[in-house]
Amino acid sequence: MIPMDPSRYYVLVEFAVRHLDFLAAELASVLRLHGITYGSPDCRVETLPQLGPHPTNSTAIENCSHVDHKNTVQDQQRRNEKRQRPFCILSFPFDAPCVPRLEMLADEVDSAKNLATSSKSQTSSETIGNIILSRCVLVRSVMELWGYGPSLDDCVEQVRQWTDVSSGSTTASTLTTTNCQHSYQKLVRDHGRSWKLTVHTLGCTYSREVQEAMRSRFQFLALPGPVQMNDPTDEYVLIRETELDDHGSPLPGGSIDSAASGTNPPRTRYKPNDSVSCCYFGRALGGTRQTKHRGDVSRFSLKSRAYLGPTSMDAELSFVMANLAGVGQSSVVLDPFVGTGSILVSCAARGAYCVGTDIDIRVLRGKGENSNVVSNFRQFDLPRPELIRSDNAIYQRHFRRTHIPMYNAIVTDPPYGIRAGARKSGSRLDQPRPVLESNRHNHIAQTKPYVVSDVMVDLLDVAARTLVLGGRLVYVIPSFRDFEPESDLPRHECLKTVHICYQPLSAELGRRVVVMQKQSEYDPTQRKTYLAKSWKNGAKSAERCANIRDKIMEAAKLKPNYQERAAVRKQKRKIHKEEKKRVKLEKVEMS
Amino acid sequence: MRILTHNYLQSNVKGTEKGYPLLIEPNRVVVEESPVNLSMLQTLLPKLDYSAIVQAARQLATYEDANEAFTVPDLPDLLPETLDDLFLTALYKFLFDLHVIEGHLVCPDTGRKFPIKEGVPNMILHEDEL
Repeated sequence: MIPMDPSRYYVLVEFAVRHLDFLAAELASVLRLHGITYGSPDCRVETLPQLGPHPTNSTAIENCSHVDHKNTVQDQQRRNEKRQRPFCILSFPFDAPCVPRLEMLADEVDSAKNLATSSKSQTSSETIGNIILSRCVLVRSVMELWGYGPSLDDCVEQVRQWTDVSSGSTTASTLTTTNCQHSYQKLVRDHGRSWKLTVHTLGCTYSREVQEAMRSRFQFLALPGPVQMNDPTDEYVLIRETELDDHGSPLPGGSIDSAASGTNPPRTRYKPNDSVSCCYFGRALGGTRQTKHRGDVSRFSLKSRAYLGPTSMDAELSFVMANLAGVGQSSVVLDPFVGTGSILVSCAARGAYCVGTDIDIRVLRGKGENSNVVSNFRQFDLPRPELIRSDNAIYQRHFRRTHIPMYNAIVTDPPYGIRAGARKSGSRLDQPRPVLESNRHNHIAQTKPYVVSDVMVDLLDVAARTLVLGGRLVYVIPSFRDFEPESDLPRHECLKTVHICYQPLSAELGRRVVVMQKQSEYDPTQRKTYLAKSWKNGAKSAERCANIRDKIMEAAKLKPNYQERAAVRKQKRKIHKEEKKRVKLEKVEMS
Repeated sequence: MRILTHNYLQSNVKGTEKGYPLLIEPNRVVVEESPVNLSMLQTLLPKLDYSAIVQAARQLATYEDANEAFTVPDLPDLLPETLDDLFLTALYKFLFDLHVIEGHLVCPDTGRKFPIKEGVPNMILHEDEL
């Protein structure tokens, strides 16, 4: 059993099982916003109790039809090495100086307001819960942890010890400082608080009787308030964790409960197996466990927006990116490839002042009065973003040379030539033809293709130049699985890499969100030296970043029946084109 | 385009020495009220060129006569040493709430006009200006 330190309070963070690689990074970034350093003694990350080995792991894979046979063995090994569990236990000392900054929190996020109204009487764990729940998109619930362990018995025993300590029987004399507001003292005295106890299981189902038996183990808590199933003041939760796969489904195998699946075959149920589960017991923070917080993202869904483009970033990921960038009230944020503004919407929703630049005037203007970047902001009552048509390749020529770093964050999805090609100013000719002064006012500036590796280098250079110290650059880069982030990503002396989160899109291809932080001042006279050091392995690294479109095309050509399918698509395009032509002709004839 | 943005845009047509601050020739200006955020203004203010703000205010004041929809604050030539909330609020509203929707930005050295359409200044350089 893992002993709990009585001078600290424990919080269990339950994540949604998605974007697994982003979970810890997002949590750490949100805590950093409030001056809490994830992993420091003031916010320690406790080790999760060990999950027992899955009894049927090896045999199950062979029997399971939906698993791709090609790479099962390697896959299995990789997964075992780096399996992300959707839980995180944090512990904080009761006298942590950094925690109660609730007034700031209440201003910061609207949704936090109703949570924080009772801030005066709030315990420290409730404060932490509010900080996390009001911002983290990938957090499902936060609990004040009373006990945990690799089995139910351990868990019950620990809860017993925890309540003993906090009710003041043993070591209380050393703990009863003014800061030490142990929740249990408060709760056990308050007869007005209604409550319920939920048993939550991951990946298996327990019968009512078994659940009831588990509940009765906690009778000793003697909570005085009335039990209320609907909307109680407090919800106590017992979580039983079993091993899950990357999609949040139980691992294949287990012992399938045939009785339960009798009438409804597709929904397989797994019998609980005590040897593979861990237990957590605690009190849900910020309402009940089912209360939807998720950083209040659902209303920003892309479906609700009038103006979209092929590269609009989905609402969830763009809110995660805003969190990773540490965007908050009074932040100044830049997106140098703004497009339809989908990333900036999430930053503005967090209270940032947003600036977006793009070289393509058509995306900035949009499709008319009610379908453009500005209308996407207006729709959510957000202030108008500042849009500028400029070229990121020559940033220093558009913006003041004595420009003092002013951006707190740069959050962007650069064009990689997969769905949107990159362009920069300039003519393809060595000697561009001069523009007649009389035509200057409505001349359309020529652009030429912009090599992806240069896009990256320029982006880092602009970030190093314009971010404030400690400001963050967050960008997306599509990449193959064999990509080595350590050696292949562009680098800059003034920026250090903080997080790299991988989101798999298919077996081979995925995208990475890279978070960099400015660590030293930019010296404009050193620009050439900075640029020269961008790639660790010179042109080889640059090439690995650059030709993703070509690689995707090559990979597609290797698929069976590629030729036939390509021919069919070509035929379809041809028919479509002819149809369009015909309609156009008919219109002309009609008029 | 906000006046704040005007503060850090420059013209850099081939051969321009300074190209800053740009002259504003407004054709249409609108006011969109936003919540006043003085702490943001105070962190931004040392990074701005105050004389360019004053110049922008003078130029917009001449336009103001034709259209009474907005007011331009009467700014002193030099930034006062002590900043009271009243001054800061007026400055905030001028920098953040005024939007030049149609008009031009003009390079003070070469006279090159950068159009502002639908609130978006077009700073792109033509191929012979690079």
